[in-house]
Amino acid sequence: MKVTIKEWNAVASWRWDMPEDDVCGICRVQFDGTCPTCKYPGDDCALLNGQCGHSFHMHCLLTWIQQDASKGLCPMCRQKFEWKKSE
Amino acid sequence: MFAQKRLQKELVKIQQSLPPGITLVSADNLQEWQLDIRVLDSNPLYLNQNYRLRFRFSNNYPIEAPEVMFISPTPSPTQTPRPIPMHPHIYSNGIICLDLLGSQGWSPVQNVESVCMSIQSMLTGNSKNERPPGNEDFVRRNTQRPRDVRFVYEDDTV
Repeated sequence: MKVTIKEWNAVASWRWDMPEDDVCGICRVQFDGTCPTCKYPGDDCALLNGQCGHSFHMHCLLTWIQQDASKGLCPMCRQKFEWKKSE
Repeated sequence: MFAQKRLQKELVKIQQSLPPGITLVSADNLQEWQLDIRVLDSNPLYLNQNYRLRFRFSNNYPIEAPEVMFISPTPSPTQTPRPIPMHPHIYSNGIICLDLLGSQGWSPVQNVESVCMSIQSMLTGNSKNERPPGNEDFVRRNTQRPRDVRFVYEDDTV
């Protein structure tokens, strides 16, 4: 029997390169989910990795950093939060 | 939006389990919760006594700290009273001087459970049967909400 493929659809899935059930410490949602203000995960709701080793949803961290009270510090370790340039 | 989603997650978790000595009393909405805390060791100041904490959340929680204080609800005949615990950092009106509750010390990775545990250990570690200096004056004059009081954190011993 000869089969001719007339059409095919590729389906791919993605996830952030993060431990599976890690959550953002600010909103407590998994990194693969979105921050509370976004609807779709992915590039629109990216993650920020700090040089101190702590990661957050970018939107969550920015909301915090914009507060004067944050003094620009990482919510986890209270070192100055500076993000790692992506590899 | 921020506060609602995060509080819903916290509520689901604390309805399932809380550390020993901490119990959820009420969480009828996402603005105000009450929890009872009890000191677990045999510290004579707090032995066998439950104390009631009231949490109030703004729409900005957890970016903003919750307002947390001890309250002393009028006891019903079936309920044991909830006094305000004696502590050199707790005023007799229930206001708590603790850096992590102020904008200086708050971090959005804190949560209701971690705050309860901090306050529980603040009681556990205390042996002074006294109120903060100037308690009477503070309680008489204070019309501010706890979050607006400007505390100076100077005593790291308890």
